[in-house]
Amino acid sequence: MKKIDNTGQSEQHSAFLRAQARKTRLIHLMRYLLLALFLLAWEMAACVGWIDPFIVSSPSRVAATIGRLYQNGELFLHIGVTLFETVVGFLIGTLLGTLLAMLLWWSRTLSRILDPYLVVLNALPKIALGPILIVWFGAGVKSIIVMALLISTIVTVMSVLAGFMEITDEKQLLMRTLGASKWQILRMVVLPASVPTFMSALKISVGMSWVGVIVGEYLVSRAGLGYLIVYGGQVFKLDLVMASIVVLCALAAIMYYGVAYLEKRFAHWRAHA
Amino acid sequence: MSKMVEIRDVDLIYHEMQGETLALRGLSMDVAQGEFVSVVGPSGCGKTSMLSMLAGLLQPSGGTLWVGDSSPGYMLQRDHLLDWRTIEGNILLGLEVKRICSREKRAYALSLLEKYGLYEFKDAYPRQLSGGMRQKVALIRTLACSPSLLLLDEPFSALDFQTRVRLANEVYDIIRREEKTAILVTHDISEAISMSDRVIVFSGRPAAVKAEHRLQLKESTPLRRRSEDGFKEYFDTIWKELDNEENR
Repeated sequence: MKKIDNTGQSEQHSAFLRAQARKTRLIHLMRYLLLALFLLAWEMAACVGWIDPFIVSSPSRVAATIGRLYQNGELFLHIGVTLFETVVGFLIGTLLGTLLAMLLWWSRTLSRILDPYLVVLNALPKIALGPILIVWFGAGVKSIIVMALLISTIVTVMSVLAGFMEITDEKQLLMRTLGASKWQILRMVVLPASVPTFMSALKISVGMSWVGVIVGEYLVSRAGLGYLIVYGGQVFKLDLVMASIVVLCALAAIMYYGVAYLEKRFAHWRAHA
Repeated sequence: MSKMVEIRDVDLIYHEMQGETLALRGLSMDVAQGEFVSVVGPSGCGKTSMLSMLAGLLQPSGGTLWVGDSSPGYMLQRDHLLDWRTIEGNILLGLEVKRICSREKRAYALSLLEKYGLYEFKDAYPRQLSGGMRQKVALIRTLACSPSLLLLDEPFSALDFQTRVRLANEVYDIIRREEKTAILVTHDISEAISMSDRVIVFSGRPAAVKAEHRLQLKESTPLRRRSEDGFKEYFDTIWKELDNEENR
């Protein structure tokens, strides 16, 4: 519990810290080196003619494609569309999933009634519902958002509910001895205690929203990164496909780290619990 | 002395899919106001069930039960302090739940912290406190609601021996000073003898009162009582009574 005083550290300890720092630097270096080597090998192979750049593209061609998309203003249009769909699907899905989890926690009976339906819905590849969604919501943004929402809602319900159930009966017993109502137990104990679970559920759900949106864009759409990928494939412009995937990678990573950052900020007490 | 608790011929049956369990049968006991009573018994005999009934969390299946405090304070084995609340936030929990967190009540809760040497940790989080301190905070959380009856369900059993003995001493002191009535459920015979005015021995399941000892000890603090002459005798008597029950 006590912090070790850093001012009076021994020579050995300084050496230990230096070794650790060196190791961390090495790991970072290796990460970048790996990427650089991969890109270099890919470019070389395409240049020399080991692989056909028409089929596998090359880093320079990807960069050129991204540059062209940027110049004609398409890049941010497609990013904007996809990002909008993902964020909306993710937010509504998380909200809806959390509310449902609260409802299921509230009523044990309801949760038992709905259990098999949840299991089936969770097991079902939601992509199979694509055509139905298109008929119901039209071939456009709405269907795509509903797809993302569906996928993220269900994973959120499952993981958040599991987190709620983890809270010990004894903590709830304590609240009851203080005279707490069910609502007070939910608000004062279950919800705050579930913040860490909720944050890790967010990480899963954000990934699931990307899946939903990209699949949705594969099925219907006239814009977005998923659309670019499918379109590129159809007209055999692999440069476009690869460029879109690279952009997608970057966006998904940024969003994931954003959520991970939130998790770190909100879940600080759990680390010591 | 007026009564605080009256239990008459109480039965308690648990219903489960595997069948029913008779936890208490024909249990009768009284506790007077200001008295410190300990209940010892074989593990799983229904001591905790009795506390739950007194707290109003369980209804007896038969018999009558009267408690002179509509919301007695309850202390559990673990402190269950909420990690995300400061110590102050934790001791105000009961008041918030009961929606009676007035300025005076808050000041009273804080005065308890101050009186029992935890005021400097007011803004600390539970993880920064030791096990014994946490359990003391749990007691103050209970006292903040000003109950006249305290139900202690093995509150020291999760602590190491030294902390347990020291904390028992402190808790005893606090309960006396605040003039509370207390019922302590424990499996630790020494703890029961060192703290109480009276020890009640429960039989194995279904539990009823097997024996009762009104302690005649000269010393008043639990720590000093432990080395008193009469202590050992009481210990041996109760040990034998429990031993017979366990091997029945």
